[in-house]
Amino acid sequence: MDFVTLGGNLLGTIQLGDIVLYLTPFSLFLFAVLLGFTVLIGLSKPETQVEATMHYLNNTEVKVGQKELKQRRFLAVICGIASAGAMITGDLFNFTLFMALVGILNIGIVSAVKQTSVLNSAFNYGLIAMMCSLPLFGGAAIILAATGTLSLAVLSQMPASPMVVFGAVMMLIGILGESGVAPFFASKAEMFRTAGSPYIVIIVIIHLSSLFIIVRAVEILLLVLW
Amino acid sequence: MNLMAEILIQVVIAFLAGSLLLGLHRKVMARVQKRPGPPIVQQLIHSLKFFFKETAFPKTVSKVFYIGIVFILALIWVVGVIVGPVAKDSLLILFGVYAVYKIVEHNSGSSSGSPYGKLSCVRAVLSAATELPLFASIVFVYLVTGTMNIGEIITYQSVHGPLIFSIPLAALMFFMLIITKSPYSPFAITKDKVLISGFETEHFGFLRGFMLFSEAIAWYVLLWVFLTIFFGPLNAVGYLVGMIVISFVTGFINATTPLLSPNHSVMTQITIGAICFAGTALMIFTGVVA
Repeated sequence: MDFVTLGGNLLGTIQLGDIVLYLTPFSLFLFAVLLGFTVLIGLSKPETQVEATMHYLNNTEVKVGQKELKQRRFLAVICGIASAGAMITGDLFNFTLFMALVGILNIGIVSAVKQTSVLNSAFNYGLIAMMCSLPLFGGAAIILAATGTLSLAVLSQMPASPMVVFGAVMMLIGILGESGVAPFFASKAEMFRTAGSPYIVIIVIIHLSSLFIIVRAVEILLLVLW
Repeated sequence: MNLMAEILIQVVIAFLAGSLLLGLHRKVMARVQKRPGPPIVQQLIHSLKFFFKETAFPKTVSKVFYIGIVFILALIWVVGVIVGPVAKDSLLILFGVYAVYKIVEHNSGSSSGSPYGKLSCVRAVLSAATELPLFASIVFVYLVTGTMNIGEIITYQSVHGPLIFSIPLAALMFFMLIITKSPYSPFAITKDKVLISGFETEHFGFLRGFMLFSEAIAWYVLLWVFLTIFFGPLNAVGYLVGMIVISFVTGFINATTPLLSPNHSVMTQITIGAICFAGTALMIFTGVVA
């Protein structure tokens, strides 16, 4: 299957040596939304999280310090840019690199929270992400070994051999684990349950990057397999 | 017709039709539960009313996100109208639109600082499980028709007949998404009444108006896509009848089913999705579907 069938008319390509970025309405939409959210993250301040205090009538308000906000907002902005790169790249290896970077940044963003429950969830997610980096890169390597290329434009024109199918399945497992979506989403949902857990400025990019990378992965798998 | 004019007309149609269909949905639910229910136009009046109400901003909000997110919500469903009814472009873009919708749902809850919004935000993460059946449904449509382009899918159906007859289980997966999106659905865990109005709880005035505007357009777009990719080329009357029937059926289902707990909701959706996925794959690969 080619780019046009999947994502609409090819609007243009950007060639950076052997790295080719391509723009279709589909990839442009994902890219623009990610950049838009990244700008919002850069401009936003966190909300004040409120919850009832146990055994008392007053509320507990949790505010975020300026120093912590700056560090984590920086990570969130980098995560947004990495995710945006994953949306328009035309190279399978670049996509896996962006994916791994997003996984590492997600763990980094939540690991600064000083709450046991949040740290536990981040630790569980970190374990899954680390384990899944093997099938992620392994899958891409198998596809390279079977076809001799990592270019999506070339792969989309090739028939899928059993080794390519195997590599694609490995990659899918890797992407699911690295992005922490179903069936691994529970550890991510647990991170945000309580007051004092990660706030809007950073959780938006954690979920946005995961969901969009899954959407892009669907396109890539269809390109490679059909 | 001028493209901008067509987009504007289609967005207005989507808002008016979506609001009236949601009004019908409420009416059906009320009648099933032996209540008179509000007039069908109530949803539309309700949406317009909010644009003229005073807007308040809670002191706990993250203001840029709190305000920005409702405009993004409206914008993505306008993109949905452009990609669907106007341009009949790629189904994958609509898949992306739905993914952004889940993020917006998540962020509007979290940006307020309210614990109700926060819990709704956590549930929005869990309810992303509906993405998987939606994706599977779209892939099966591709496998049968050989294209993701909505215009070409319509052409395919005009030759081979509606896809609802060849891949009914894929249609069922998509229909499950429609039930999930419908108000008071058994899967509507983000708007559970124990969370007041879920992620919408802390949005007032014109911000709520934008949310209701987006909900109406979202309902119209989802019904339009479902009817278009599974019921073949339809004229305006066909779409109208189809949308009324689906709103009626979902209203009946929602009036007679309780809200599931978050875990049960996700489990049910994944189970139905898995059964339909296996069934459709079997039909395609054993040659039942040509």
